[in-house]
Amino acid sequence: MEIATLLSVGLSNGCLYGLVGLGLVLVYSSQGIPNFAHGELFMAGAFLAYTAIVLLGLPYFLSFLIAVVGIGLMGMLLEWLAIRPISLHRSLGRASSEVAIVLATVGLAIVLKGLARIPWGDSVRNLPTAFTTQTVTIGGVAIATQRLLIVAVTLVLTVAISVFFARAPLGKKMRATAQNPTGAKLIGIHTSNIYSATWALAAACGAIAGVLAAPLIFLHPDMGTRMLLKGFAAACLGGFGSVTGVLLGGVLMGVVEIFAGRYIATSMMDIFAPIIIILVLLFWPQGLFGARRAARV
Amino acid sequence: MRTLLQNNLVWLFFAGTVALSFTTDAYSQYLMNLVLVYVVIGQGLNLILGFAGMFAFAHGAFMGIGAYVSALLTAKLGVSLLVAMPAAGVAAAIVGALIGFPALRVSGLYLAMVTLGFSEIVQWGIKHWKSVTGGPDGVSVPAPVLFGHRFYGDYPTFYIVVVVALAMTLLAQAIIRSKLGRAFVAIRDSEIAAQCSGIKVARTKVLAFAISAFYAGIGGSLFSLTQSYITPENFGFYQTTLHFCIVIVGGAASLAGPIIGSIILTWLPEVLRNAQALQEIGYGLMLILFVIFAPRGIAGFLIDKGILPRERFSLRRPSLPGRSRPAPQEG
Repeated sequence: MEIATLLSVGLSNGCLYGLVGLGLVLVYSSQGIPNFAHGELFMAGAFLAYTAIVLLGLPYFLSFLIAVVGIGLMGMLLEWLAIRPISLHRSLGRASSEVAIVLATVGLAIVLKGLARIPWGDSVRNLPTAFTTQTVTIGGVAIATQRLLIVAVTLVLTVAISVFFARAPLGKKMRATAQNPTGAKLIGIHTSNIYSATWALAAACGAIAGVLAAPLIFLHPDMGTRMLLKGFAAACLGGFGSVTGVLLGGVLMGVVEIFAGRYIATSMMDIFAPIIIILVLLFWPQGLFGARRAARV
Repeated sequence: MRTLLQNNLVWLFFAGTVALSFTTDAYSQYLMNLVLVYVVIGQGLNLILGFAGMFAFAHGAFMGIGAYVSALLTAKLGVSLLVAMPAAGVAAAIVGALIGFPALRVSGLYLAMVTLGFSEIVQWGIKHWKSVTGGPDGVSVPAPVLFGHRFYGDYPTFYIVVVVALAMTLLAQAIIRSKLGRAFVAIRDSEIAAQCSGIKVARTKVLAFAISAFYAGIGGSLFSLTQSYITPENFGFYQTTLHFCIVIVGGAASLAGPIIGSIILTWLPEVLRNAQALQEIGYGLMLILFVIFAPRGIAGFLIDKGILPRERFSLRRPSLPGRSRPAPQEG
C-alpha cells in the first residue's frame, strides 16, 4: 500500500521533472546551450497563475491558459532581448558566443528572480488545486487529483509535441534548424523566427509545469532553482535529445528519488539531481534513453 | 610617466587601498576588505574562465570549502591562521583537481552543468554534516592571533587581507606570464593546436582547475575573516553568479579586470540599498548588458582607449572582420 502511494507520488513528480526537462531539451537542441533561466520561467508561470486565480478571481483553467500563453510570450521576448543580440555577434566565434549566451541566461535567471522578489518575496504562498475534490481512491490507494492531472497533462503534451515535431510544418522547420542552421537558412527558413518559436514553446512547457506543481510545493521566488536541477537531471538521463527520453528520465528520477527519500534519508531528496547529472554526464554522456531518439527535436 | 604608472597598476591599486584605509569609517573599511577578498577570488576565476577558457560554475563551492576549512581549523582545533589559510587553499585545490578530471571527459557547456551539480552537492554536504560544520546554523569565526597580536575588527583584518590579496595578484601575474599561463591561453584558443605544440592538455586543464580553486579557497578563508559568522547560504548559486559578474563586468582575460569588477560589484549593493531583489536585478542586468555590448568588460574598453596597458594574452578585439578565431572542435 505504501509502495503504491509512493509510486504515485514519484510518478507524478517525475512527470513534472520531465516537463521541466522538456523545456531545457527544446532550447538545448536548437541552440546548443543549457538554459539556466528555465527554472525562473517555471516560477513565473506559477506566479502568473496565482495572480489570475487568487488576485483576479478568474476560473482555474482560464488562468492556466493565461499563464501558459503569457509565459510563452515572455520566453519569446527574453530571447529577442537577451539571446538574439549575442547570436548576431558572428565575430565572437561559435564557442565563445555559446558561453556568452549561457551567461546571459544566468543573468536572466537572477533578474527574473529579483523581479519576482519585489512583490512576492516576503512569504510563501499557496496556489489552489485544479479540482475541489482533493483525492480519489483507486484500488484502495488514495491519490491526489492534482497528481492525476499532472500525469494526464504530461502524457497528452508529450504525444502532442512528438506529433508536432513529426508532422507540423513549424515542427519540421525546427528540426531542420536544430540539425543544421546554415542548411536551414539556405532553404529559406528564417532561423531567428525558429529560435523565437522554440523559446516560446520551451517557456510554455516550463509554465505548464509551474502551474501544475505550484499546489504541491509552495510559491516562492526561489522555487525555480531546485526544479531547474531536477529538470537538468531528467534531460541528462534522456540524453538531451528526445521528447520521450526526457520524460522517461524524469519519471525514473522521480520514482528513485521518492524511494530513496523514504527508505534511506529524507535529505537525500535534495541531493539526488546533482548526483545524477554528474554520473550521467561522466559515464553515459548519451543518456540512458538517448539512443532511442524517438523524436529528434 | 604614464607608462611608469601603467606598468605598476597593481602596486598603485594596493598602495591606494592602504592609503584609503586611514580615511575610512568601520563600514567602508569592511567593504574595502570585501573588495580585496573578491579580487582574490576574481583572479582565480579569471585564470580558468578568461585565460584557460573553461566554464567552471563552482567557485561559490570552492570558496565555501576554503571558508569552512579555515574557520573550523582555527575555531575547533586552535590552529594558527598561518597554517589554516594555506590548508584552506590546498583543500579547495584538491577538490578542484578532482572536479578537473571530469573536465577532461565532458567539454564546454556540459562542464557548466557538472560543476553546478558539484556545487549543489558541496552546499548540501555543509548543510547536513552537522557534527562538523554546524549545519544550517553556521560557524562563528574567531579573530586570528598572529605573532602574539590579536587581529580583531575591520582595520586589523584589512592588513591580513591586503597582504594576501597583493601576494595572490602578483602570483596571478606571474602565472599569466609563465609557460603555464601561455599554455592556458593556447588551450583556450584552440585545444588541437595546443596539443600539436606539445602542451599536455589534460594535465594543464586539471592544473587550471586546481589553481583556480586554490584562489577561491584562499578567498573563502579571507571571506570568513571579514565575517564573524559563516553559513552554508553564503556559498550558493548566488555567490557563484557574483563571481561571474565580477570577471565579466571587470573584463575577462585581463589582470585589471577582476580588480575593477570587485570594486564595482561590492559597491553596487550599497547603491542598491542592500535589498536582495534590487541587487539581483542589478547583477543580472549588468551581466546581460556586458555580455551583449562589451564582452571584454570595462578593462577591455579601457585597454582599447589606451588608458590601461595592452596585455599580451587578453582576448583579442572581437570586431576584426574575417579574423575571428575558428571554433574549437567539439567533443
